[in-house]
Amino acid sequence: MIRYLLGRLGYGAVVLVLVTVFVFIAMTFIPSDAVDLMLADTGASEEQAEALRTELGLDQPVHQQLAGFLGGAVQGDFGTSFYTNEPVVDLFLDRVPVTLQLGLLSLAVGTVIGVAFGILAAVRRGTRTDGTIRAVAVAGLSVPNYVVGLLLLTVLGLWFAWSPPFVYTSPTEDFGSWLQQMALPAIALGTSAVAGTARMTRSSLLENLGSQFIRTVRAKGASERLVLYKHALRNSVISVLTLLGVNLGTVLGGTVILEQMFSLPGTGQLIFESVQNRDYPVVIACTIFYAGLFVVTMIIIDLLYALVDPRIRAAREAGK
Amino acid sequence: MSSDVMRSSLPPAGSPFEPPPRRVNPAAWWAGLKRFVRSEPLGAVSLALITIIVLVAVFAPLVAPYDPLLQHRTRTTEGPSGDFLLGTDDLGRDVLSRLIYGARSSMIIGVLTTAISLVLGTIIGVVSGFLGKTKDLVIQRVMDAIQSVPPLVLLLFMAVVLTPSIEGTIIALVIVITPSFNRVARAETLRIREEPYIEAARATGASALRIMTRHVLPNMVAPLLTMSSLLFAGVIIAESALSFLGIGTPPPTPSWGLMLSEGVRYVEMAPWMVFAPGIVLSMAVFAFNLLGDSLRDFLDPRLHR
Repeated sequence: MIRYLLGRLGYGAVVLVLVTVFVFIAMTFIPSDAVDLMLADTGASEEQAEALRTELGLDQPVHQQLAGFLGGAVQGDFGTSFYTNEPVVDLFLDRVPVTLQLGLLSLAVGTVIGVAFGILAAVRRGTRTDGTIRAVAVAGLSVPNYVVGLLLLTVLGLWFAWSPPFVYTSPTEDFGSWLQQMALPAIALGTSAVAGTARMTRSSLLENLGSQFIRTVRAKGASERLVLYKHALRNSVISVLTLLGVNLGTVLGGTVILEQMFSLPGTGQLIFESVQNRDYPVVIACTIFYAGLFVVTMIIIDLLYALVDPRIRAAREAGK
Repeated sequence: MSSDVMRSSLPPAGSPFEPPPRRVNPAAWWAGLKRFVRSEPLGAVSLALITIIVLVAVFAPLVAPYDPLLQHRTRTTEGPSGDFLLGTDDLGRDVLSRLIYGARSSMIIGVLTTAISLVLGTIIGVVSGFLGKTKDLVIQRVMDAIQSVPPLVLLLFMAVVLTPSIEGTIIALVIVITPSFNRVARAETLRIREEPYIEAARATGASALRIMTRHVLPNMVAPLLTMSSLLFAGVIIAESALSFLGIGTPPPTPSWGLMLSEGVRYVEMAPWMVFAPGIVLSMAVFAFNLLGDSLRDFLDPRLHR
């Protein structure tokens, strides 16, 4: 198991290095120089611009910049912001809790609703309920999550004169206020995860319900409830877990736009503002950090597989 | 979801030595379409919806009641009426006309992005799966790397690199979408590679290139078609999200995402500025999602009874 974990970590590191290489290669395609943009309105002389380039390391060829970045990264130094001169790591770590709260809450909302829909659809297979759930699920998938957020805000604001508080408070400080602020973006983001989860739960449950072991359970006289929740559903957890990984990317990306809309001070806001300010070191590091978040969560999901399914655990211990 | 679920419904024609039919037969397509409409009524509805959207986008100048950029200065933020079916925006522009022209940007970007990514991703996936070993490993790790950055974050990053324009948006989206096609194409290649007819083709001395184009590619059309429809929906969403954030299609070109972000500021005075593009955008995405969903069911032989 430990060897397996080490393998996964190594793979994660390789992927992150590749992301970094990709980012630095892409940066060479920037049409105009970062320093020119920064100094455009300040009337600085060409020598000053040159000095700043040297200071920022922009006069070096790309492979040297890349090597310098990776060298720093190993020691925990991912560069400093052009504007505030703060280390990017600190900027990111300050804001990442908000994004993680929003992401986890949305995944929870999406998974709970999706699994509930999936169970209902599986139990009532072939009926009108089943068809309705399929249509509603695809419809929910089709309204982009930022549009859901927008519509929620509009409807609640226009017709119920309610809008969420616009200053972020941490959950430990004032849980009620935090929940009020997180609820709408979490629902908006969660809807995109409902459709896939519902479909996966339905098909996996149906597969399980038709299998030999369920026939045995039924034969011993277990109630339908016990059959469904204890035996069939348990065996569907794996497929739902797989989907968590699929939904993760969407949810993490979605936080960018929803944090903007609901003025949540998370990493999405950080990267968006940095893109607008052309604060290159922050944009570069944030892109890599987001990939890092994704990779780490995927490894956690992988470990959860083994925790949930003893067969996978055994296979990994024997195989790798 | 394992992609081998979506295998092509046709076994290779004739003896294993005979290559699968390579010319597209219009009559067969027409028959297939009729079968699709009959077995997937929801899919037929979505197909009709998509046809309408595409026609409206193509013939926008003929369909739109007004010039989308024309500002009726005396009639700003006017509600829906006989003159302006969906009302006007803050500058007095006709919302319906802007929606119709907005369909153009969405469809152009959607079609080009999906087509380019489909070709690129399939080539990468087939070649990678066919070569195997180290080369496959390297190519797939690069694809993994791109996919490990959440799509919208990658698009934001690309917005820094590229100048905001339709071309820039398409390039960024192609980079985001291509790995998904690669994944499907590679999985299919790995499956098809083991089929007896590939061995037969090898035995007859067919070159790798010939096997890939004549035998491997035609047998993965079904899953790629499904994927294209689903990813097209994703592209429409992503394009609108970029425009919404102000880094996609540059104004004043009408686009649905841009209309949404303009509408937010006037939502209390003119809620139609948000609802109209919101509903149209969702309908378009819904149509492509539903088509993809129906195609998946239709093309999956395991579901045919």
